Amino acid sequence: MSSAVIRSLQQDVFNPGEERLISCCHVSKYLKKKKTSFLCLVGTTTVPFNVWIIQIKQTDKQVYKRKRSWSLVELKSVDGHSELYETQEFDLYFDKVYRWVSSSPKERYAFIHNLWKQVSKHVVKDTPVFKNIPKAWITEDALTPESNFITSPLIVFDNDLVEDFQAITDKEQDDLKRLMEGCEFAISNAEGFMEILARDLSLLDGENVQCVLASEEHVESLMEQLELAINEADRLETQLDNYDEILCHVRDTMETMEKKNSMNSIVNKNNQQLMGELENIVTTLDLPMDYQKALDDADFTTPEGLTFSVKAAQALKVAMNSDIDKALLQMSAVQEQRKKFEKYKEKFSRSLSRQLNNLFIHYGNHKGEADKSVEGLILPQHSGVHKELYPYTELMHWMKVMDKKMYDSLKEVYTSSLGKLYDRDLRGLFNAAREKIGGLKPPRLQIDLLSDVVSAYAVASPTTLIGLDRDFWTLETSAADRRRYETILEQVLTQLEPVFLQEQQFCVRFFQLDVLSPTSKNTLTTLDGCEATMEIALPQKKMEKQIDEDVRSMMSTLFACLKTELDLLIDHVKRQDSFYCMYVLIGLNQHVMSAQSSFLSNTFASQLVEVKRSLDQFMQTQIESVKDCRLARKSKVGILPYVSNLEIFAVNVECLLKSDRAADLEKWYTRLIDTIIEYIPVHANEQKTPSQVVKMENYHHLHSLLSQLKISVLDVQRKETKQRYNDALQAYVTLYFGRPLEKLNTFFEGVQAKVASGVKASEVSYQLAYSKQELRKVINQYPGSNVKKGIESLYKKVEKHLSEEGNLLQVVWRAMQEEFIRQYKMLEELIQQCYPGSMVSLEFSIEDILQYFSEIARSH
Amino acid sequence: MEKNMSKKPTVQPALHKVIMVGSGGVGKSALTLQFMYDEFVEDYEPTKADSYRKKILLDGEEVQIDILDTAGQEDYAAIRDNYFRSGEGFLCIFSITEDESFQATQEFREQILRVKNDENIPFLLVGNKSDLNEKRKVTFQEAQDRANKWGVPYVETSAKTRDHVDKVFYDLMREIRARKKDENKTSNGRGKDKNKKKKLKCTIL
Repeated sequence: MSSAVIRSLQQDVFNPGEERLISCCHVSKYLKKKKTSFLCLVGTTTVPFNVWIIQIKQTDKQVYKRKRSWSLVELKSVDGHSELYETQEFDLYFDKVYRWVSSSPKERYAFIHNLWKQVSKHVVKDTPVFKNIPKAWITEDALTPESNFITSPLIVFDNDLVEDFQAITDKEQDDLKRLMEGCEFAISNAEGFMEILARDLSLLDGENVQCVLASEEHVESLMEQLELAINEADRLETQLDNYDEILCHVRDTMETMEKKNSMNSIVNKNNQQLMGELENIVTTLDLPMDYQKALDDADFTTPEGLTFSVKAAQALKVAMNSDIDKALLQMSAVQEQRKKFEKYKEKFSRSLSRQLNNLFIHYGNHKGEADKSVEGLILPQHSGVHKELYPYTELMHWMKVMDKKMYDSLKEVYTSSLGKLYDRDLRGLFNAAREKIGGLKPPRLQIDLLSDVVSAYAVASPTTLIGLDRDFWTLETSAADRRRYETILEQVLTQLEPVFLQEQQFCVRFFQLDVLSPTSKNTLTTLDGCEATMEIALPQKKMEKQIDEDVRSMMSTLFACLKTELDLLIDHVKRQDSFYCMYVLIGLNQHVMSAQSSFLSNTFASQLVEVKRSLDQFMQTQIESVKDCRLARKSKVGILPYVSNLEIFAVNVECLLKSDRAADLEKWYTRLIDTIIEYIPVHANEQKTPSQVVKMENYHHLHSLLSQLKISVLDVQRKETKQRYNDALQAYVTLYFGRPLEKLNTFFEGVQAKVASGVKASEVSYQLAYSKQELRKVINQYPGSNVKKGIESLYKKVEKHLSEEGNLLQVVWRAMQEEFIRQYKMLEELIQQCYPGSMVSLEFSIEDILQYFSEIARSH
Repeated sequence: MEKNMSKKPTVQPALHKVIMVGSGGVGKSALTLQFMYDEFVEDYEPTKADSYRKKILLDGEEVQIDILDTAGQEDYAAIRDNYFRSGEGFLCIFSITEDESFQATQEFREQILRVKNDENIPFLLVGNKSDLNEKRKVTFQEAQDRANKWGVPYVETSAKTRDHVDKVFYDLMREIRARKKDENKTSNGRGKDKNKKKKLKCTIL
């Protein structure tokens, strides 16, 4: 493209808007070659600096007009179509695609390259993509001189066009004009003109050389000047060095002064600290005179004296445990003071322990306060003692820290003295309880009469073996008695609780049992202080355990007789009532849960374990007694003892089943019932009465009992007894039936056997043994009257087998009647099948049978 | 009570024998089980015959009740003769939701009277399933009329809700007890209340 066009574009179009043409490309629209326009990359010359891409059209009148313009930021991408240099097409993506064809590859290159440069300079965000363009075009060639000047848009502009356009400035133009004017023929005779110019040039060269030579003088003078300047600078430098030296000296002096100063302040501080330390020692180790007096001659008789003693003792403790540096302790004054303290301590501790000893022994006889107005069992409380001793609490704690030995011996005196007191109280309570339960009765005569079976189980408590006939039971306890025992036990246990809790709380507080190692800060001021450090590192859990242990051991010494007395009481109940374990277990269980004193709760718990054990043993014995059950020889067995006893047994143990320890019993209940179910057939077999009857009656009774008890864990057993009852009933009916028509039955059994062996039913009558004659013979033996007799004797037999308490006669007889009718029908049917048309039939009809039944019914 | 038990000649409480009669499925077993064990069994399983025994307090007196729960369906009515004979009082049950069962009571009543040979035998007409009132087929009046005709009480029960269950058993036992007292008075001449059963037989025969 001609530079003329560019110039005119710049001048006509862009200069008025203070814009500058950066690059221009003569283009036509893709596929519309005729319509040409100029695509210009234009920048503003003023800030803010903006770059536009502007399409310029040349109208017919050779006037340039802006057609479209886009800001550079609108440019989304540039597609060069191909990396080949010769390509002329390229697309610009703005809001839509604009496809161009440049007039030459060179222009395309120039435009795209410039476009990329502008983009990389000005577009920060969403840089347009340059596709299908040689890599070299869109990289910054840093070494080219152009890039150095790129900051100046005007120079860039010039550089851009350097290849094809070198503008001549106006001045040059004028000079040129002038030059040519001076030589009229310049235009006509170029050679002449050149000669003139050459001549002028050599002339000017000569002048120039002369000029250079002339300037040497000036140079020399300049050099001289420089020399002078250097000398002056040197002088200045030496002066500066001098100053520097002086400054160094000043600095060193300052440093020395500073050091001295800090030394002074340290000395000062040390003196102050020493003063403080001394003051501290003197104040801490100083014990006021009145305190000294109080310690020397302690007065515990008046409350004021006591309070003052406490104060003095505390002061002494503080003084003796004060935080004094080890090194200072070696000072003889300190040592002396310490010895003095030691003396006071011993004296005071002696008099205190004498006082407390007396008090403890005195209170050992305390009557205790019991609410006399309340009816029943009472364990007196001793809060009075506690109240009187509480003022000494702090002194006791003092003792624990200061004189462990004395503390231990005091503790011992307290436990033994008060222990006696509680011993008496407890014995009183338990004796009263035992008396209320009832005196020991002489062993009942009946026990001696019992067989050796019983003596094998002869325990202290009354005999209540489930496998033993009720007549041999020696249990005389009524429900009311039992309630009374329960209440007495409950009363005793309830009485124990507050007393124990109170005593435990007192002991913990008074003897500081909850603090393992007293706060002895060990400063060697106390003589025996050095040993106390070892226990401090114990872990929390272990410490709690140790404390618990201490409390419990003290309590168990105080209430040494509790366990024995509790044992005795429970034994006493046991002697009255063999079912004692049921309710004693419940009572103890509740108190184990509720007792707040850990010692009491532990004691109850171990008692509980024992009672649980005897419950287990009791139940085991019951189970054994079922197995060992011996039955008297009787014509009718009826309900076995352990089956009938189960009802009363269930009543006796019911309370435990309703408590939260039901699981203990349920386990045993299951075993007991299982054993009973297992042993009914065993015992049934040993009797004259048919075993089916014994089984039937007993399973029926057991099922009924279990249905009434409704113990969910026994549901399986309940269903099993039902099944076993039904089986036994079925077995009894089928086994004892057939007797009234025995011969008929045997005959037809033979017939059935023949049929089964292959003889046709209709041909059985041809067999000799089963001919019509034989049939008639058998049938003749059973006229109606005989049948009636047979049924009657069957009824009598059933009546004889069954017991009244079993209560199954009607049930069994109904089943027998049904069975009889079933057999009758079967016989009739067999006759129809095997002897058809023989006109033979049984000598009695179904109506006859029903008649017999009715008659039997009416005969009793 | 244990004290009583341990005495050697145990005095057995008076025994009253009650028979449950009525058609199949009217709820005889359900009533019995509700009375005996306080339970209601939904599943229906026809009974053949079952006997129950329970000790109860009847107006402060300890008595024993024997309940014979019988089959509703019986092939031959004569089979019932024997246990009807053994009964001292009858609960004749029908379902108020089934007219047929109500009609059947007539037949039961006749057989009982025939077997016991006694017009005044303790007897209660019981309309069961009163909880199913919306399915009612037998009106209260209808049943009451029949009971009046027979000279017996009529009670409606529900074995499901336990409504009036205890009442029918206790009412019947009271009647039985009253009957026995009367008989004792009439036959007071010889032997005391021992062998009273035999005595009873004699009067009937």
